Amino acid sequence: MYEELKDDGFEVIAVAQDTAGDAAAGPFYEAAKATFTTLIDTKHTLSALYGMVNVPTGVLIDEDGQVVRFDEGTYTREYQAGTLSFGTNDYLPIVRDWVARGAASEFVQEAAEIADSVGRRTDAEARADAAFRLATHFELQGDRERAVVYWRQAQELNPDSWNYHRQEWSYDPGSAGAKWFQKFQKLEGKPYYAPLRKP
Amino acid sequence: MKNRRRAVAPSVAVALLLAASLTPALADGETTVLHLDRVVELEQTLADPTDLWVTPEDLTRINDFVLKPEGACLDDLCIPIPRGEGSDFVVESEGETWFSLTAFARKVGQEYVADRESRVWSFGAVPAVRSSFLTRAQAPEFVLPDRQGEPVRLSEFRGRKVLLLSWASW
Repeated sequence: MYEELKDDGFEVIAVAQDTAGDAAAGPFYEAAKATFTTLIDTKHTLSALYGMVNVPTGVLIDEDGQVVRFDEGTYTREYQAGTLSFGTNDYLPIVRDWVARGAASEFVQEAAEIADSVGRRTDAEARADAAFRLATHFELQGDRERAVVYWRQAQELNPDSWNYHRQEWSYDPGSAGAKWFQKFQKLEGKPYYAPLRKP
Repeated sequence: MKNRRRAVAPSVAVALLLAASLTPALADGETTVLHLDRVVELEQTLADPTDLWVTPEDLTRINDFVLKPEGACLDDLCIPIPRGEGSDFVVESEGETWFSLTAFARKVGQEYVADRESRVWSFGAVPAVRSSFLTRAQAPEFVLPDRQGEPVRLSEFRGRKVLLLSWASW
């Protein structure tokens, strides 16, 4: 999509929320033959600033630096993982429409709507960010024992953040899938990703 | 330090504690402060079981705020800081000014978590800095490294439409 739209003044900035940095994210960028901007965010800074709780999350930003849309689960298409289906075929057409029509696109959201739904952090959620940041610091220092203490604290403070859980689970790849599925089942019908809003 | 001064105690004890607080002791060893993607090592802080005191220079290294006569300022934003006798925010000692990062955080509603044992303090985003995002949906600025380690700023992309996509390998 980037190749198709880049001549229309469109950029893609991909930001990897990976404490292991390029070692973890690099192979994916290479496999995707990424020609767009590829960044590494070992400390999940972007998630803290933008109030993101899961990946992928897509933010559309206009020429003046204004956020015009914020969505979770912004896969490029729908796909199956076992019995579960993920992603959506609806997001790319939204992006295409916005690139073509700008502010006139029906998919552009009001500032108030964006702020209400995503940006605001409760005190506990903000403290969870700080605790998670502490955990990643200890992890990067090789102190797994301390890292786990603060990962758990972050998860307790903000149980809705999938990023906190999924990053920790990734250190034990053998059980990560099972742990994810256990938590996923507890949603009991609540959406894993906030659904795409459409006019 | 703050708690000591608030303690209700016989006047002699209060006088002794006040005298002690006028010549605060330096803490032993290094302290680490985390703020967003920054890791700032502090060579000196004050010994204090509850609060974290930093020099004005370190304040700026940590969160870009500059201590000015009108307050702690970042660009157009200035948070008034009460000074002088009994201030929870600023103490002067032997020619050095100390600023309480924790009192500041409580004032501006910034959350923090500390691991006292290893002397690492982690501060969340300053809510006022995010307010232009929350009220006007202005995209928060960030600087992150690309795969070669070169810093990239969001503001470099002004004038173009951007899809900012967070993802992860996990």
